[in-house]
Amino acid sequence: MTDYVDAGEAVPHRSLSAVNQSAPATRNVDYDRIVDATSEPENWLTYYGTYDGQRYSRLDQISKDNVRRLAPAWVFQSSSQGLQAGASTYSFEATPLVVDGVMYVTGPDGKVWAIDAKTGTELWRYKHATPFDVSLCCGNVNRGVAVGHGKVYMATLNCHVVALDAQTGEPVWDVIVGDVRAGESRTVAPLIVKDMLLVGSSGGEFGTRGHLDALDVETGERRWRCYTIPKPGEPGSETWPDDGEAWQRGGANCWITPTYDPELNLIYQGTGNPAPDFDGGVREGDNLYTDSVVAIDADSGQIRWHYQFTPHDLWDYDSTMENLLFDGPDGQKLLAHADKNGYFFVLDRTNGELQRVFPFVDRITWGEITPDGKVTAKVYPDEEGVPVHFWPGPAGGKEWTHMTYSPRTGLIYVPVQEVGATATRRRREFRESIPYWGAGVAVDLDDHYGFVAAIDPNTGEEKWRWRNEYPMCASTLCTAGGLVFQGTPTGEFVALDEETGEKLWSFQCGSGHHSSPSTYSVDGRQYIAVPTGWGGWVEGFLPGLLGAAAGSAMFVFALPEN
Amino acid sequence: MTAEAGARNEVVEAGLDRQNGVTLGRLMGTGSVGYAEEGSDGVMRATVRIPEDQLIFEPQILVVPHGGEIELTLINDDKNTHCAVLPCNADNKIIWLVNHAKGTARLKLDGPGHYYYGSTTGNDEGRGLNGAIVIGGEVPDEAKLDRPPQPRPQSQAQAQAQS
Repeated sequence: MTDYVDAGEAVPHRSLSAVNQSAPATRNVDYDRIVDATSEPENWLTYYGTYDGQRYSRLDQISKDNVRRLAPAWVFQSSSQGLQAGASTYSFEATPLVVDGVMYVTGPDGKVWAIDAKTGTELWRYKHATPFDVSLCCGNVNRGVAVGHGKVYMATLNCHVVALDAQTGEPVWDVIVGDVRAGESRTVAPLIVKDMLLVGSSGGEFGTRGHLDALDVETGERRWRCYTIPKPGEPGSETWPDDGEAWQRGGANCWITPTYDPELNLIYQGTGNPAPDFDGGVREGDNLYTDSVVAIDADSGQIRWHYQFTPHDLWDYDSTMENLLFDGPDGQKLLAHADKNGYFFVLDRTNGELQRVFPFVDRITWGEITPDGKVTAKVYPDEEGVPVHFWPGPAGGKEWTHMTYSPRTGLIYVPVQEVGATATRRRREFRESIPYWGAGVAVDLDDHYGFVAAIDPNTGEEKWRWRNEYPMCASTLCTAGGLVFQGTPTGEFVALDEETGEKLWSFQCGSGHHSSPSTYSVDGRQYIAVPTGWGGWVEGFLPGLLGAAAGSAMFVFALPEN
Repeated sequence: MTAEAGARNEVVEAGLDRQNGVTLGRLMGTGSVGYAEEGSDGVMRATVRIPEDQLIFEPQILVVPHGGEIELTLINDDKNTHCAVLPCNADNKIIWLVNHAKGTARLKLDGPGHYYYGSTTGNDEGRGLNGAIVIGGEVPDEAKLDRPPQPRPQSQAQAQAQS
C-alpha cells in the first residue's frame, strides 16, 4: 500500500463561503450612547431599542399612507450541518441589533452574524459549538446580542458568555457562567449597563436556582451575582419551607433581558416560575422571588424592591417577560407588565407599589386578582393523578415575546395568546439535570385564538383589538409612522394602524413568527427586520401548529427606492 | 458478563453493527469507544479511522477528559471518499478525506457535554459515518450554583441494583 494522501488540516467551514470575516468599523457604542439611544433612531442599539423596553422607533418613513408598498429588500437564510441539539426545536427568536449600517443577530445553535444592514451581505459569522446533550427546556434558541465597547456579546446554550471583536467576529474573551450538569443554560440577549454586561440564567424546568450576573465588559469577570431565590436567613427566605431543600432548586430564572432606568439606577428583572412548576406541595409558601419583578441596584446587585405577580405559582406562570417603563400623565415613573397569568399590572417603578391591575385576556380560570392586588387561586393541580384544566395555559396570556408602547398614542400594544391547558400532578424526586415539573401537561390543541390588544395603561381600557385565528406568539413593534407590526404563527407579517387596529399590509414569510422585529435606517432608507422560523416550545404555546413548517430566515422590508 | 457487554452482544446478534445487514446502513453508536490522551502541552490527542466498507469512524465514541484543545488525526482507510465536519468553537471545521488519506483537525471544545461530527457527503451520515466526541469533567466551582450538592440521576444498572 502506498503512503496516505496528505489531507492537510481541517479548515473553518466559513472559509469555504463568500464570507470574509470583516465588518466595517462603527462608532463606538458605550453606556452614554445607549442611554441616549432614542436620539439615533437610525440604529437599534440594544435589545429593546432603548433601556425602557418600549420597542418604539421614531422612524416615520414607512407610514400608514405608504405601507402598502412595503416589500422585501433582502432575505437572510440561516442553515445547519449535522446533528445539533434540539434539532426539532430550533427557532429564530432574536432581535436584530443595528449599529451604523451593520446588523448583529443571533440564530439557534450558537450562531451570530454580522450582516450589511443595507444589502444583507454576510460580513462575518461565529458559531459556538453546542453540546448535543445540553439541557434545553424550550428549544435550541437565542434571543440576541449586546453590542458595545467594540465587541459583540452573546450567551450560549452551554452557559458561556463570549465577547467577539465587532469587526472580525474573533473571540476576545470567553467565560463560563453556569453549570450544564445542573441543567442550566443561557438563551437571553445580554444587556450593557455602564461597564457591565447583564446575563440572566435559564433552566427553570430543571430545578436550578435563578440569578442575574453582571460581568465586566472588558474581561468577563463577574462583578456581582443576584440570586432570585434567597438562602435561609436572607430576606424572602421565610416564603420557603424552612426545614426543606426546596429553595436550592426553586427556579426564578432570568431568561429575558431586563429593562433599566438610568436615573433610578435600577434594573427591572422579571423572574421565572418556581420549580417544580406544578407541584406546590413540596414548596409551601409564596416562593419569593419567583414570578416577580425585582428592582436591582445596578452598582451593588442588591434587590431594592420586588413585586410578585403570582405567589405560590402552580401553573408555570413565569414573569420573565419585559417590564416596560413609561411615565404617567402626571410624570409618575411607572412600569407596565403583562403577565402570563392574564393580568396587566402597572407599578410605581420607584418603589414597586401597585397602581392598577386588570385582565387583558378573555379567559382566566386559574384564579382571580382583585383591583387592589389580592390573589386567590381557584383551579390548580392539587390531587395526585387528577387532571385539571385552566386558562391561560402555561405559556400564558402573553408569552416572553414583547409588547410595545407608543408615546404618540399612549397605548401599549400587547400580543395575546388565548390557549388553555390541562395539568395532572405527578410528584417526582429531584435529580439534577432531569426535568422537574411535578405534572404531566397537555396544552389544548384547539379552542385557541389570539389578538393584538391596544391597551391604555392609565385606565386599563382596551381601545381596539386585532383578532387572529391563532394566538400571538411574537413581539410587537411600533413606529412614528403610526404603525404596529406583528408576526403571526402562520407566517404573515402585518402592519396595523396604531389608532384603529386596521390591517394595512401583510406579507407571508413562509414560516411562523416567534421573534422580535426591529427597525433602522441606512442612507436615509428605513428598514424593518424580522427573523422568522417557527419553533421553540411550540407544544407549550401553540401545539395546534406543531406540524407547521419550520424555517430560519430573516426578512428585511423597505419601501421601493424609486 | 456485564450489562454493557450484554447490550453490545445484542446489537451484534441483531446484525445492527454492519452495512447492508438488517438495516441498510450501520446503526449509530455501534462502534467502539476510544480515549484521547492529554499531552504535556495540554492538548488532547487521538486518532480516528474510517475502516474499509464500514462507513463508521473508529473509535466511534471518543472520550476526552475535559474541555480544551483537541487534535485529531483522521485516517481514511476506505476505498471511497469521505469528509469530516467537526464541531469547534468559532466555527465548524471541515476536512476532505479522499480514499486512503490522512489529515488532522485541531478543535476547541467546551466541556462537559458531547458533540457529533460526521461525513457530510452523500448520505454518509445516514449510513453510519457519525462520530461522537464526549467531553467529561465538571465546570469550575465558581460557575456552579451556590447550593449544597444535589442528587444526580442514577444509571439504569444502579437503579436496578437498588430495586
